[in-house]
Amino acid sequence: MPWNLDDDRPIYLQLMERIQHDIVSGTYQPGDKLPSVRDLAVDAAVNPNTMQKALSELERCGLVYSQRTSGRFITDDAGLIRQMRTEMAKEHIRDFFVQMHKLGFSDEETLDMIRRTLKGETHETDS
Amino acid sequence: MRPILECQKLTKKYGNFFALSNVDLSLERGKIVGLLGPNGSGKTTLIKLANGLLTPTEGHIMINGLEPGPATKKIVSYLPDHSFFNGHMKVKHLMAYYADFYRNFSTERALKMLDALEIDKDKRLNALSKGAQEKVQLVLVMSRDADLYILDEPIGGVDPAARDYILRTILSNYSENSTVLISTHLITDIEQVLDHVIFLQNGQISLNTSVDEIRTEYGKSVDALFREVFKC
Amino acid sequence: MLGRLIKYDLKSSGKLFILLHGIFLIFCILMRFIYMDRLDLLAPVDEKMLVVSLLLFFTIFTVFVSALMFYTLMQIAFRYYRNLFSREGYLSWTLPVSGIQHLWAKIISGCIFMAADTLIVAAGILILATGKNIRNAYSLIADEITLQLGMTIGDFGLILLILCLASCICNVVMIYFCINIGQLFPGHRVLCAVAAYIITSTVIQTGSLIILFIFGYFPGYEFFAAEGATTFDFMINIYVISGVISAVVTVAMYIASHYIMKKKINLI
Repeated sequence: MPWNLDDDRPIYLQLMERIQHDIVSGTYQPGDKLPSVRDLAVDAAVNPNTMQKALSELERCGLVYSQRTSGRFITDDAGLIRQMRTEMAKEHIRDFFVQMHKLGFSDEETLDMIRRTLKGETHETDS
Repeated sequence: MRPILECQKLTKKYGNFFALSNVDLSLERGKIVGLLGPNGSGKTTLIKLANGLLTPTEGHIMINGLEPGPATKKIVSYLPDHSFFNGHMKVKHLMAYYADFYRNFSTERALKMLDALEIDKDKRLNALSKGAQEKVQLVLVMSRDADLYILDEPIGGVDPAARDYILRTILSNYSENSTVLISTHLITDIEQVLDHVIFLQNGQISLNTSVDEIRTEYGKSVDALFREVFKC
Repeated sequence: MLGRLIKYDLKSSGKLFILLHGIFLIFCILMRFIYMDRLDLLAPVDEKMLVVSLLLFFTIFTVFVSALMFYTLMQIAFRYYRNLFSREGYLSWTLPVSGIQHLWAKIISGCIFMAADTLIVAAGILILATGKNIRNAYSLIADEITLQLGMTIGDFGLILLILCLASCICNVVMIYFCINIGQLFPGHRVLCAVAAYIITSTVIQTGSLIILFIFGYFPGYEFFAAEGATTFDFMINIYVISGVISAVVTVAMYIASHYIMKKKINLI
């Protein structure tokens, strides 16, 4: 299946995010070998050069490393992956609060709603 | 390395109509390039000039530094925007024909793809459905180890499943040193596989840049930009 | 590459060609046994019937031969047009082959078909005309005809055959020349090719007549007024002049075609 990509952002960024997500969520385990650029590109239905660029960027952040002869691997550094995971979680939370602000909820109200949602309440009981 | 395709002040006139005027262009190796533009913008004219099917009115077009001729035809694999085979020929005979004339044709690769598509090689081309005929043409074109693939509207009339297969075929068959030039007006479908896009407008190049540059610079897809540039 | 191009040209239209010419040969063989061999030319029962039946038979035969020749010409023309200038041309012109190689492949394959057609027609005539009764009948007038022709009818026929074979080249080149001329136009290219054919053949024929007239062979009264002239002398002179004209015209048409195939290709 071709990967779902947004229309308005650079494709290599989206490919990076997707692979990061796959690493963090455990689809790829630390130390796993990545498929070849060509295979990944065919799988995602994107240009191999774009996939190459995404992987090079990931290499620069250290999430992926390449061995000259045998290909590309996911980093063994579990700490780095954990850090990445936390980073991504923070990103989501920030986005979430931004959205809530737009809807007119203060941080306190938002937190309150989260607690209640977790307790299993489905309706607001403000009245 | 020399650019795989180069145009210098390329002009083609039909009567008083300029199908192309003063086009300067250079294509690098190892790229998938989209040639985009509305109907009548000169896409097919440019492609036919590159294949030696038309003679330029003025200027030059060079493939690997040579004017179109037997030497360039060896390294260019071309898919026209309409059927170009003798419909009475059987699929296997068409394969033999390609193998006879093109040294870089891989019968093995063609067989593999035709099998995957479940196309009967003993059938005459005429006896196949229109979609299957288009697939046979694409399979033969992509089974050559060419330096430059020129595909004129390869996804024009096919269904979405076939379109995915075609894109996949293109992606998995071109080698790192070869260039693919795809002309189309259905941009959304192929935007992701392109490195580079060239917008043609009234026989002139109005934009020549990479897909990610467009997205970074304009914050929109090539398709959206195209709609804006070519607004009616 | 030239060999491969010719191979595919011959393959593409060979089947129907062989079928039609096979039917012709079978027709000739059947007619030889059913009709020709039963003719009594020396002492016919009904002379009128004999003449009528012969006339009828040769009319049919001529129509058959003309149809075969027309088919062969059309087949050569269509193959050339379809293979190089229709949609199939997009494949032909992107093979790693030059326009000149295409032209030569088509000239050679076209000449092979035309020559085969001519030889098969000649063979058909031989089959029909070599029965014992006909040979006996001919032997009565052979001396007179040999005297008139200046040679035996066999030698005459052979020269005629060689001339026909030579003219195949001219015919083939002319067909291609006209189709090439048609390709120079922006539209209605087939129509333009037909027009080019009509104009070219008219020009050649008129030109030939004028040249024959200048040399005093047309009309031929003056020639026959001279003493000791045989029909053969007259004909051979006409053939030599027409031959030279054809050769010159063929070369000119080839040069034009060569130029068009090299420099002026514009597929629609």
